[in-house]
Amino acid sequence: MVEFKEVEGYDSLKSELKSLEKSDKPVFVLFTGSKDSSGKSWCPDCVTADPVVHASVKEKLSEGVFITCQVGPRDFWKNQSNPFRTDSKLKITAVPTLIHWGQSNRLVEEQLFKRDMVDMLFED
Amino acid sequence: MRATLMTAMIRTGAKQCCPYAACSSSRSVAYYSKSAIDTNSNYDLVVIGGGSGGLACSKEAADQGARVAVLDWVAPTPHGQSWGLGGTCVNVGCIPKKLMHQAALVGNHLADAAAYGWQLPKDHHVPHDWNTLKNAVQDTIKASNWVYRVQLNSKKVDYFNALGSFLDSNTIKVTDKKSEKTITAKYVVLSTGLRPTYPNIPGAELGLTSDDLFSLKKSPGRTLVVGGSYVGLECAGFLKGLGLPVDLMIRSIPLRGFDQQCANLITDHMSGEGMNILWRCSPLEVVEAGNDQKKVTWLSDDGKKESQVYDTVLWAIGRQPRLQPLNLQAANVQLNQKNGKVIVDDEERSSNPSVFAIGDIAQGRPELTPVAISTGQLLARRLFAKSSRLMNYDMIPTTVFTPLEYGCVGLSEEAALKKFGEDECEVYHAFYGPYEYTIPHRSSEQCYTKIIALRDDPKTVIGIHFVGPNAGEVTQGFAAAMTCNITIDQLQSTVAIHPTSAEEIIKLRITKRSGLDPRAVGCCG
Repeated sequence: MVEFKEVEGYDSLKSELKSLEKSDKPVFVLFTGSKDSSGKSWCPDCVTADPVVHASVKEKLSEGVFITCQVGPRDFWKNQSNPFRTDSKLKITAVPTLIHWGQSNRLVEEQLFKRDMVDMLFED
Repeated sequence: MRATLMTAMIRTGAKQCCPYAACSSSRSVAYYSKSAIDTNSNYDLVVIGGGSGGLACSKEAADQGARVAVLDWVAPTPHGQSWGLGGTCVNVGCIPKKLMHQAALVGNHLADAAAYGWQLPKDHHVPHDWNTLKNAVQDTIKASNWVYRVQLNSKKVDYFNALGSFLDSNTIKVTDKKSEKTITAKYVVLSTGLRPTYPNIPGAELGLTSDDLFSLKKSPGRTLVVGGSYVGLECAGFLKGLGLPVDLMIRSIPLRGFDQQCANLITDHMSGEGMNILWRCSPLEVVEAGNDQKKVTWLSDDGKKESQVYDTVLWAIGRQPRLQPLNLQAANVQLNQKNGKVIVDDEERSSNPSVFAIGDIAQGRPELTPVAISTGQLLARRLFAKSSRLMNYDMIPTTVFTPLEYGCVGLSEEAALKKFGEDECEVYHAFYGPYEYTIPHRSSEQCYTKIIALRDDPKTVIGIHFVGPNAGEVTQGFAAAMTCNITIDQLQSTVAIHPTSAEEIIKLRITKRSGLDPRAVGCCG
């Protein structure tokens, strides 16, 4: 079974990951631009990637935790010293980024538009 | 796109076949008609072996519009170690080696720090943690494994984590853990590389090889490294540099094929740093000695049997092909009887005109990642982009990452004298002191550089050798100069970058013929 979680901002992601420390299930995190009051993300690539990633999760991931992390508004994200970019365990340099937490495997931006590429991350 | 490619290939087919006297044989005709029809080929190219050469070849072929598959399968070591896509270089070779070498160099900097004024705690013994280093190295490797898979995917190269074996010239059986299937290919490239050799002695399986070393779950501890190859010297060097007690056993000469004067400076330096080198010794047997230790018995120089107990025994006595599972007979691919490598011509083509071999597995080729990469790319362009350019195997630079590094390009002194004769060659040489060694009083006794040039005009440089820090960085640019056929006059009229070690090469004036002392003189004179 796949457990879906949504977090907003760096601190809530860290506490979510901490709570999963003892779990032996694979944890995936999708970093995406936060939605504005109209419910739309400021990041168009995130909007494109979202359905591809979710379709792949549905088909390829049978067991694990899938966290969607909204990284904040555009101005916050563009600040080069924001904690998503500087945390040595994250080093997120672009949104959207999909990572297999604790492993080196990650996909960024246009790579997340390709279904077979996303499948590869969940199959590995 | 695909139609254009096929048309182009049919058009150039005759040209590609020409160099072969066997062009009119029935086999070639059969191959020919198959390529012209091309209805049942799954792929234009199947590459067996996803290492440096295979990946480069497959990606270039895909860029040229070919339909490509890569098969990569790593047979686990006797100790159960296996790894991901990318081959020897990234998994168990150049990359982990260079990182561990760097770890040892960082240790040197720590030792030098106090002399430069860094106030380390008194009596500082800074211990090294193997697992921190090993984990960092393995993380780097896994990131690369993933990047290669992403690259293949984005270039639409099909990747199979599977063993490939020939059913006939153009048909490959693909076997993975779960299933088996058959694919066909117009061309097949063999790029399966080499694996370490185990000695034929009792207990050999108790030893490890470089295939296991970089992922060891605990520090190798007291280690015996057996072999004078660059793998042996490098591994012994960085293990010693990490603070481990290391013995190095060399049966005959170090770095066979390299300039022997430079090779001996490397081993002199290792001895000077406290490495115990067991010269002219051959291992006889290895037995379990309890506590996960191994007792090694060897035949020493004077014919006596000697023994010692080690935590780890590392075989670095050579590398060999592992082609049996590929069933090459089915494709009539001829192997060199002596070393088991694939016999190839100038175009990397085997005895079967549709099967090629690149990288370490190809007979007579330098066993170097960048060579395999270039060869693979050039081959892909010849097969799919109408190129006729061949790989140039001259002037291949390389560097041995021993504690004191050794970089070279062109001929060794021995090879130059043998090829051109002593009267035709001028050998320039000097010992020098790297500036950074002065303050911590680090010994520069083995820091040395040498140029071999022809004596006849235009006095072309035919070999450059550099023993010293950062030899890889130093040698690369000189390799470019030699590729442009630089002469000794041009080299000597190059302006120095001061203060560096690399400037010692362009400052070389003393010839061996003169008999003058090549030992270092003043600094800025």
